[in-house]
Amino acid sequence: MSIAIFKTHLRLAKTSIKENRTRSFLTCLGIAIGVACIILILSLMGSISRLVSNQVKGIGEDLIVVRPSTNRDTVTSVVAELTSSNAYQKSNLALSDVDTIKGVENVVAAAPIAVATGTVKTEKNTIDSVTLLGTTPSFIDIQPLSLKDGSFINDTFESNTAVVGHTMSLLLFNTNNPIGKTLTVQNERFVVVGVLREVEESINFNNVDFDNAVILNANALSKAVGGLQVQQINAKATNTDSLAEVSEKIKSSLIEAKAGDKNFEVFYGDKITHPASSLFTIVSGMLTMVAAVALVVGGIGVMNIMLVSVGERTHEIGIRKSVGASSRNILAQFMFEALILSMLGGLFGLVLGYVFAFFVSIATPFAPFISWQILAATFGTSLAVGVIFGIYPALKAASKNPIESLKHYR
Amino acid sequence: MGANNTVIELKGITKRYGYGDTESFALKDVDLTVKRGEFIMIMGPSGCGKTTLLNTIGLLDRATEGSYILNGENVAGISSRRQAKLRAKKIGFIFQDFNLIPDLPIIDNVALPLVYTGHSKTAQLKQASSALSRFHLQEREYYFPYQLSGGQQQRVAIARAIVSDPEIILADEPTGNLDSRSSHIVMEELKAIHEEGNTIIMVTHNPSLTTYATRVINMLDGQIDTDVKTVSDNNLPKPVEERKTRRRSHKRSGRKK
Repeated sequence: MSIAIFKTHLRLAKTSIKENRTRSFLTCLGIAIGVACIILILSLMGSISRLVSNQVKGIGEDLIVVRPSTNRDTVTSVVAELTSSNAYQKSNLALSDVDTIKGVENVVAAAPIAVATGTVKTEKNTIDSVTLLGTTPSFIDIQPLSLKDGSFINDTFESNTAVVGHTMSLLLFNTNNPIGKTLTVQNERFVVVGVLREVEESINFNNVDFDNAVILNANALSKAVGGLQVQQINAKATNTDSLAEVSEKIKSSLIEAKAGDKNFEVFYGDKITHPASSLFTIVSGMLTMVAAVALVVGGIGVMNIMLVSVGERTHEIGIRKSVGASSRNILAQFMFEALILSMLGGLFGLVLGYVFAFFVSIATPFAPFISWQILAATFGTSLAVGVIFGIYPALKAASKNPIESLKHYR
Repeated sequence: MGANNTVIELKGITKRYGYGDTESFALKDVDLTVKRGEFIMIMGPSGCGKTTLLNTIGLLDRATEGSYILNGENVAGISSRRQAKLRAKKIGFIFQDFNLIPDLPIIDNVALPLVYTGHSKTAQLKQASSALSRFHLQEREYYFPYQLSGGQQQRVAIARAIVSDPEIILADEPTGNLDSRSSHIVMEELKAIHEEGNTIIMVTHNPSLTTYATRVINMLDGQIDTDVKTVSDNNLPKPVEERKTRRRSHKRSGRKK
């Protein structure tokens, strides 16, 4: 196809879309909603990954994280996780694995994250479904949580110590200075030794909202609730250069200690971006489905309008063919129109998606995120929709008989 | 230019619809040879196959049987893509109801055949403009078809038919929708085009128009009934070679590389 014909098709498509402004706009809107959903998902996912990776960078590049491998790929497993009180149904990690990791060369510190939910009682209040984080004193060496008052949990003179988050302190004790007071989990009593400062980011690689958590000694918590699942083990290496080497060693010594059990993964650096939130997986899954449905509906809209357009312009097709347009020329003309419609929809959806993302960012810690991948995805989807739903009307136009078409009037 | 000056050679052209009991013929074994510079009028009652013959010559329709040689090239069995290309380059159509695209200004309507031969936009407009000025419509270039009278619209259609300098011009009752005054103007334009050496085949119902023709063919039931030449082959207008050469070179310079 020569450039001149290409330009002509472009011009024709522009004229045709302009002439039917309202219906072109409505057609574009269908595509736009689908694309906007995609943009929203990608933008939020991008922003979460960036958030977490910035945190990891802030903590230090020497962080290594061990997580049990779960089959989170299936919808049922995600739903099962969501509906249960524990964040993870079954973990292959145990508190003893922390010591194994500590024993690995070049590992400075290691601490487990074992989250349980339970009822916490104080003199004044009883609160249900509190996030109880069981860990060891080394936790603070790896992730510098900032304490507002007091000290972190310890196990030197008193094993039943607790640190409460900013919001939790107010909820449990009606004060932000609860040091020395006691709280009860099941029948175990814990002494509060510290209060955390307000945490800005509630989304983090630990999957714990520290503001609303009570941090306890893992062993004591295990005793209180009767057994704990370890969701994650954080470790710190001596220096950043040997991260790969150290994580390999952690892997091999863990496999050895666990008698060949390989159901865990070791992450470091940028790979610790997984926000470990099932809710997020569900939400983005739903949005993806909405986007897919909207795109299909939008595509059907494009096809519908193109079929109407082909019908209305049958006479024109006859004229064009009689003066020398080949079927291919006609095909290209209508294909261009469908593509431009869907591309306009894509562009519109891009803007709409960022407007959505902006509103979401007001209410949540997400920030709208833009990258060339997102732009490419927008472009790709609208192109695909245009081709898939434009080809049939265009073929229909191209296959029209010129003599019959010339007899056809609106 | 062929040595014997033959533009069209039809042999045994048959157009059949249906099979068996429902079989009917629009054209039945038509032989026709057209020389360059002829102005042929095809007459006959409705349904005798005039338009089918014209459409077959114009490569819009395919004959069921027979051979068709256009300018020395056998075009009976060629692909529809090649047919389209030949339509754009070698054939100009004029229709009874003008068949202009209502959404395009008339200059773009005239330039339409050039769009599909890969001319640049500038070349298209230049050639369309000069074709329009020939019919004294240069001031209406950016009018839309509905803003013109029937006679003017038909002159635009004629401009479109000659803009790519075709071998043959096919007209299907070009005066059928016009009053006698406009008909006269249109026929005078066709006559002028013919006198420049162009070959014209025209279908008409109006016997008084046959005075313009050099050859009158009467058709009946899909066959040629009578075929009368009023001007001998030797007296046909000679092509204005000088004009053609100039136009061709102009066209070439305007074509995109």
